[in-house]
Amino acid sequence: MNCQRFETMVSELARGQMMAAEQRAEALAHGNECDDCAARLRDEEMLTRGLQSLAAKMEPLEASRAVEAKLMEAFRARQVVVPITKRKWNASYWLAAIAAMLLIAISIVAFRWSNRAADDRRQAVKIEAPQPKPEVNDKSKEQFARDVEKPDDVDVLPQRSKPKRVRPVRPDNAQVANHATKEIATDFIPLSYMSAASLQEGGQIIRVQLPRSALANFGLPVNMDRYNEKVKADVIYGVDGTARAIRFVQ
Amino acid sequence: MTAELHRRMNLKSELNDSELLRLMLAGDEEAFALLYHRRHGGIYRFASQMSGSDSIGDDVTQDVFMFLMREGHTFDPAKGTLSAFLLGVARIYVRRRLRAEQRLELFGHIDVDDDDSPILQQSDTCPLEDLTRAETIESVRKAILSLPEKYREVVVLCELQSVSYAETAEILGCAIGTVRSRLHRARALLLTMLRPAVDVEQRDSATVKSARCFA
Repeated sequence: MNCQRFETMVSELARGQMMAAEQRAEALAHGNECDDCAARLRDEEMLTRGLQSLAAKMEPLEASRAVEAKLMEAFRARQVVVPITKRKWNASYWLAAIAAMLLIAISIVAFRWSNRAADDRRQAVKIEAPQPKPEVNDKSKEQFARDVEKPDDVDVLPQRSKPKRVRPVRPDNAQVANHATKEIATDFIPLSYMSAASLQEGGQIIRVQLPRSALANFGLPVNMDRYNEKVKADVIYGVDGTARAIRFVQ
Repeated sequence: MTAELHRRMNLKSELNDSELLRLMLAGDEEAFALLYHRRHGGIYRFASQMSGSDSIGDDVTQDVFMFLMREGHTFDPAKGTLSAFLLGVARIYVRRRLRAEQRLELFGHIDVDDDDSPILQQSDTCPLEDLTRAETIESVRKAILSLPEKYREVVVLCELQSVSYAETAEILGCAIGTVRSRLHRARALLLTMLRPAVDVEQRDSATVKSARCFA
């Protein structure tokens, strides 16, 4: 320990502050060796005693009774005023909170109700629209042979300026279309020279009328009594103009 | 009735400051009275030791408790003790009053409780050597009052009010290290002021000796 280090801790030493026992011992040892530092420590200790005496002398001092009386009076006056404003504030607060809660509850109910109504509508549509399963695959083969009518010429469905891309193998669309027109149709039958994958490319549907004998080409039975009549069919043409698939319609 | 009142007061006296404050803010007069009796002494002494004026001590005490009535809800127990909070408020009011006093002095309206005697009585004896004498204690008080405000604060809080370094730092809004260094400097200033002029000269020469001690 040197004097400089002693100087940094002399106040703490004189004030009896907490410090490491080792440091304290070193500082006291240095004070014993160095007269100046010993004098410095004595001064600090005397100052500490002086401050302690002053603190002890002032310890019993406190604010005058008048201050307490004024404060108590002020506190009571505040008591009269504050609860009223507080109650008002509380009432308005609770009213606002209740209103907010009601608003939230009404919003939730309305939202649920609208959702449920939409669901009901959807459900009703589903019930009203029974799956018009084209009774084509099995049943229709024979039915076609019996019920084909109108030996007209080629009848093209309303065409759009742009070729409409359709997904040929989508029974839902076919079912909805059939339901709307009250028609029964077979599934699309890929034409023999096209692969099934090419049907996915879509294309344009054209309604045509074919000789009933065409049914035989696709392995469908032909009613020989109505051999001269024509049968309706939807043909999918690809973007390159080649026929991709066909279905027969009643 | 009085017995019941005493019983209630005794029960509340076991509550800590925060709980008393909560009751006080809810309108409990007894809680306020208890809190006042528990804390007003420290605030009054801090204010009067900082200003050297009993009337400022009274005013500041009143202002602090009025503040507590109005703004007591701003106290956050997580940030420190109520005692430190109140002393921090008291410090603001004291500074405000001291600024006002300084302004009045500029206009020649000096209204200080203390007499105009110098800090140190011109005598041959060193005040530090006889601390039992009332005038010596008085000279220590005056020496403290003559300290710059930032040093006076730490002396009043740490030496006279026995507030810990940490709490003092909280009250003053500074680091603990700052409190320590300010206190060290303040004590050095006090020693310089309390020593008679002759002794100061001796002290100067002693400083040279201590320089030799370094070597």
